[in-house]
Amino acid sequence: MPSTCPPALALSRSRRTPALQRITRRAAPWRRICLAAPFVLALILPAARAHADDLPSFVHDGQLTLCTNPTLPPMTFVNGSDTNALAGMDIDLARRLAAYWHVPLVPQTMDFEGLFPSLSAQRCGMVISGVLRQAGRLRNYDAVAYLDSSVVAVARVGTPKIRTMADLSGQTVAVQSGTSYAAQIERENDRLRAAGRLPIILQQYPTEDQVVQQVLIGRAHAFVSQDVELYYRQKQLGGKVTIILTPDYADFHQFAVYIRNDAHDTELLQTAIDDLTRQGELSAMARKWGISGDHQSVFTDRKASSRFDFATFFSALFSTAFLKGAALTLVIAILSHLTAIIISVPMAMKLNGRDSIVRRLLGLYVAIFRGAPTLLQLLFIWNALPQFFPIFREHWFTPFLATWLSLSINESAYQVEINRAALRAVDPGQVLAADALGMTTAQTYRHVIFPQALRIALPPTINEFISLLKTTSLASVISLQELLAVTQIQVARTFQFTEYYAAALVYYLAMVFFFLFLQKRIERRFVWADRDKASADAA
Amino acid sequence: MQLSTSPDPTARISIRGLSKFYKDYLALDRVDLDVRKGERIVVLGPSGSGKSTFIRCLNRIEPHDSGVLMIDGRVIDDRTDLTALRGSVGMVFQNYNLFPHLSVLDNCTLAPRLVRGVGTSDAKATARRYLSQVNIAEQADKFPIQLSGGQQQRVAIARALCMNPEIILFDEPTAALDPESISGIVGIMRDLTEQGITTVCVTHEMGFARHIADRIVFMDRGAVLEITPPEEFFTAPRTERARTFLAQMIRH
Repeated sequence: MPSTCPPALALSRSRRTPALQRITRRAAPWRRICLAAPFVLALILPAARAHADDLPSFVHDGQLTLCTNPTLPPMTFVNGSDTNALAGMDIDLARRLAAYWHVPLVPQTMDFEGLFPSLSAQRCGMVISGVLRQAGRLRNYDAVAYLDSSVVAVARVGTPKIRTMADLSGQTVAVQSGTSYAAQIERENDRLRAAGRLPIILQQYPTEDQVVQQVLIGRAHAFVSQDVELYYRQKQLGGKVTIILTPDYADFHQFAVYIRNDAHDTELLQTAIDDLTRQGELSAMARKWGISGDHQSVFTDRKASSRFDFATFFSALFSTAFLKGAALTLVIAILSHLTAIIISVPMAMKLNGRDSIVRRLLGLYVAIFRGAPTLLQLLFIWNALPQFFPIFREHWFTPFLATWLSLSINESAYQVEINRAALRAVDPGQVLAADALGMTTAQTYRHVIFPQALRIALPPTINEFISLLKTTSLASVISLQELLAVTQIQVARTFQFTEYYAAALVYYLAMVFFFLFLQKRIERRFVWADRDKASADAA
Repeated sequence: MQLSTSPDPTARISIRGLSKFYKDYLALDRVDLDVRKGERIVVLGPSGSGKSTFIRCLNRIEPHDSGVLMIDGRVIDDRTDLTALRGSVGMVFQNYNLFPHLSVLDNCTLAPRLVRGVGTSDAKATARRYLSQVNIAEQADKFPIQLSGGQQQRVAIARALCMNPEIILFDEPTAALDPESISGIVGIMRDLTEQGITTVCVTHEMGFARHIADRIVFMDRGAVLEITPPEEFFTAPRTERARTFLAQMIRH
């Protein structure tokens, strides 16, 4: 089967060979042997033949779904200010594969850490996101390689070249989290420790642009990445960095398309990639995205300015991408908090009532959802829930719905405590008076208890809302294109950290200040609670 | 006592063998009492004697466990329409329990509007009439927090009056008031009698009790020990327990 064919055969070349040339030489003998395997198999198992002309099973509902983390130019990134406009070698390949199978491509973007859980959860059919073909990943997934590459260690320009990774002993090295570079460096560290030397200090960041930034600002001595990415980055970096080492790591030589374990699907995918390779389409894509060492010469052409670029800042501030991101942040926060309030009021009333099974269950609910990190809850609902309930795999269960669901549940666990305290703070004599006037329980809550509890609950509730507004930024891990996700995608494209962060900050602050202002306005309506204010108001 | 064993349907309130338990604690012990229309009853007794529990049974804020409670010839039990009962039996509390988020006027109109379905303008007219009766009409648009204790208690009485009750229960209405305010409340309670309203009042204030009571009900440990006119109660109490109680109250 192709997935068990030795990848090493394809890698028996000089590691310094430019990627482009390597692509053209891909029709390695082992692959032909592997391609023959299904035919042999088909002869042995006639039943298998019936599927031979089928689409791969991961083409589902007449579409090809792709999971990608578009922060890794030139493989997968957002080119321009429209966050839906995906671009890069990986995206071109995915589009070409969709066309190959005559189905539309439906891409989904998310954090790198979310890619494989989403694949497992059947949220997408394949992952193409600059992911390397590695033995560790092959235990759980099948992979088909489409582009050769190599690992590079990169430092600021002027840093002397090194001979081995061991030369980085005692230095700080940054890598993207969720990638396998970290494990590789840990293996280096084991060897260093065994030799009685200082280990490499490893720092991991969620996006590749942050990894590079650590080297640019001098916090890290070097970063570890793939050559193809660096070729592209150099255009933005204006020759500020240089390759100091190209370590020969066997597991880091090929980018691959990942799918769920399925021998038949793997075979179909392999056939498709081989066809595209033979037709020269893959090498054309690679050329298009500048995946070759040729850009080395372009490096020094441009000097990037280190000053704050007001033009970029203002264009980000007024861009539709940021406006949309901020609107989404606002909408998801308001919706989630409203839902949380609606469900937490009856919960608080029940929790303030007599001991019962329901009360104990509610107590457990509050303990769990206050105890577990919000990020974990988001990831659980997005990635783990579909494994228990397949209905959550379907297209209606969007990142927006998942975020709404998890933030509502999470927030209700906090809001319920505010509500409880507020309801308890209302004098029991009020209920007695309402009771003595013949008011029903519902009338008493509506006209006597709630208006008084509202005043007590309002300041902590606004506080919670402001906190929630900022918590929405976590939803970028499940691919919700809220404000921070938009910011990170723009940063990955342009490397203008300061300008885009500043624009995001302006939006967050504007939103928070608006709600603080609103709180002041609403509190003015509670004059009845303050003798001096009430008298001043009447005067 | 000279009461018949069956309740008197012609009395405004008729009580026979009324008992109330809090788990194992006997809070009311076979209370018998008849109250005439327009009568002013003052319930006296040491703390924990069951006075408050007793009057709270009268509007069924505390349901009794055994015995008979009859108001205007109707038996009050778990089948009684509580909304109707509380409309005819109003209550005024020690701490006034006004609704702090509502103006004085809205405090008085809320229950008539919600419970009786009275129109807003009618409810307001009624409220202003009763607020004038308790001499507080000019405060109608203020919030309770802006009023003194005496003023708040008068609002509470007006609020109860707005439901047109036949009986008003007072649970230590003067406990938080200064002497001047207390005399104001005495005047108001006398006016209620002229309107034919029956009042049952729990108090610790001996002077107040003496001024307003037609009859004193003396309670101890959940039981009624004496039912006597005030001049007799304060000069020649029949029971030893009442004598000790009065002696302590005078010393303090």
